[in-house]
Amino acid sequence: MFDINHGNLDDSPDVGQEIVRRIHDRFGDFPARFQKADLVRLDVPQKDIIPVLSWLRTETPFVQLTHLTAVDWLEDGQFELMYLVTAPDLMVSLHLCVRLDRAKAEAESVFNLWLQAETYEQEINEMFGIHFPGSPRQGVPFILEGWRDMPPMRRDFDTVAYCDRTHPVRPGREHQDSRVYVGRKFGEKGYLK
Amino acid sequence: MELFPKIGWTLLSLFVAINYGFLINGLIRKVMARIQGRFGPPLWQPYIDMGKLLVQRNSIMHGYMHWLGPIFRSVGGMGVYVLVPVVIGEPRLAGFSDMGDLLLMMYFMFFGSLGMALGAGDAGHPHSPIGVSRGLSQMTAFEMPFILAVVALAAHVGSFDINAIIATQQHGVLSWNLFANPFASAAAFLALLGMNMYAPFNIVGAPTEIPVGPATEYQNSYLSLMMIGRSALAIGKMVMFMDLFLGGAHSIGAAVVKILAIYFWSVFVGAVFPRFRTEQSVRFFLRWPTAFGVAGVLLTQWVR
Amino acid sequence: MKKFDPDRPWDLTTLPTTMAPQGSRPHAPVEDQCFLGAEADIKQPPKLQEAVATIKNWFRASSLNVLAFGTGCGAIELRPLSTSRFDMSRFGIPGAPTPRQSNVFIISGYLSVKTLTRVIRCYEQMPDPKWVVALGSCTINGGMYWDSYNTIKVLDLYLPVDVYVSGCMPRPEALIAGFQYLMDDVKKGKANGWHHYLENLEWYRENQKQVITDWDLPNYNW
Repeated sequence: MFDINHGNLDDSPDVGQEIVRRIHDRFGDFPARFQKADLVRLDVPQKDIIPVLSWLRTETPFVQLTHLTAVDWLEDGQFELMYLVTAPDLMVSLHLCVRLDRAKAEAESVFNLWLQAETYEQEINEMFGIHFPGSPRQGVPFILEGWRDMPPMRRDFDTVAYCDRTHPVRPGREHQDSRVYVGRKFGEKGYLK
Repeated sequence: MELFPKIGWTLLSLFVAINYGFLINGLIRKVMARIQGRFGPPLWQPYIDMGKLLVQRNSIMHGYMHWLGPIFRSVGGMGVYVLVPVVIGEPRLAGFSDMGDLLLMMYFMFFGSLGMALGAGDAGHPHSPIGVSRGLSQMTAFEMPFILAVVALAAHVGSFDINAIIATQQHGVLSWNLFANPFASAAAFLALLGMNMYAPFNIVGAPTEIPVGPATEYQNSYLSLMMIGRSALAIGKMVMFMDLFLGGAHSIGAAVVKILAIYFWSVFVGAVFPRFRTEQSVRFFLRWPTAFGVAGVLLTQWVR
Repeated sequence: MKKFDPDRPWDLTTLPTTMAPQGSRPHAPVEDQCFLGAEADIKQPPKLQEAVATIKNWFRASSLNVLAFGTGCGAIELRPLSTSRFDMSRFGIPGAPTPRQSNVFIISGYLSVKTLTRVIRCYEQMPDPKWVVALGSCTINGGMYWDSYNTIKVLDLYLPVDVYVSGCMPRPEALIAGFQYLMDDVKKGKANGWHHYLENLEWYRENQKQVITDWDLPNYNW
């Protein structure tokens, strides 16, 4: 697609370098990491993510939202949203990472840019409790029907305690902590009998 | 022949035909399995399925129409069978062929599917009406070439009576309509692929897509009745095709062989082709088979 | 009005629109002859009764239609089982796409709570007698999902299981062996999990409602 300021993106020898340069020119100096030849990671502040995504969607070949997921950085008190945006013609992906405030847990929806974001946002809403105002199907159960506890992908959710509380197990099964098992197996200090 | 002996012989012949249909069904499963490199179920597996269906408990029924659907279906199949003469010059196996003509037979073929459609619609499962609408649209499509073929034969003979059509084919193999009316035969045998609902045209009960189409909500005894109706209809149709195009049969052995040959035409085609979508099959039937049918009708007029 | 007899659906005088209204409780038929050892007040002599039951059970065991519902990773084993390498149709075991026409339910691996709801629905829609084959260690004690928040650990708290096939995953041969055990049990009239389910429906319902918190199924899914 032709960009009036820079010329055609398809012609540049390294599309990843070129698109990062253009984003830097246009939006600001975001830290970039060139992970592979066809994968670039950009850390974008929250206020800039919607302008960057709209620009990518409308004016560059990066028209496909391949994936949208979240990571819980419990120690930093932050959530991280990860948008994987792909240029299907050039086979190059941009990995845009946004940090959110964990206490507020709210992000802008990209549903109006990509319709399929609806499902991703529904799932993130269910699994992490991040709210996307304006996205349809927020709060509608996706996998967890009748879930009454904390969103299970948050790291302060105690899976084993929930499991013991909810799902009865057959008696007779031995539970082994895998860390203890590996420590014993390889004779690590502190794990020997 | 008196009426009551005739009814008795016809029922006996119907019973034998249904059993033959069961065995052919088993044979088809076996042949399909061998084509796919499997062993396949035993030849008598349809009988076992039938017995199992009869000893399971029915747990639901959805009202009168749902209950009557398989009955309509099997009545349609049996109606076709009792109207065709199986062996030439054998009044005990002629059924009621002197009392009905081809139009009545075609009515019976349509009637069974229509009754089944009504019953399936009563079941309320969303897959049933989908299968029904697919089946009926495909059916109207293949009726077109088939009716043209029948009209061509009737114009050739000057009658819709099946016995008259058989009588014109008794002058050697080349007088069979298969060779005497090649275009009409091509149209009818292509329409037969759609009637038998083997692979290119099995969109109606497309497994893995809409589970089994109209029969989704039917279970045990309903299914067994449908099995009976299906084998009666299959054998009736094959005998009809044999009478119309292959010159009938002079003995039971010849009838058995010819029925098997006609049936396996659609089975072998089904073994190697993938499935058409509904609009593809409708388009297919309305192109070449219909053109063949029109050509057949025109050819008979020209020959006259 | 006479009671509707499901074994005599042709009796039009007793024909309701559906056999049982939504939510009513099914009855467990002790008089059904698929139990060889059942105490039943049937007028026939016991020898004849036993012979009839043997024939019926032989029919049932020789034509087991498997519901095409893959719940977990074990469903991947059902494809080689039904295709040319381990052809299961030679035992008379084809697949059936709808619960109304199937007799065996293979729980093929882990069951999430959402799937469990659908499984219960499908299981109760199958005609009696019906059997459940539990495939893989997930159905026995949770397997590798023992600490998963959304996966049930013990299947037989929620559904009656007739045959367990252990392993992770069991090979198709193991499943065929499981089917042989099931056939033997059906022939002997011992595979009566469905009857146990009907008799102890309240107990099963209580367990099911413990994990399915937004229970919106009727009391019995006809």
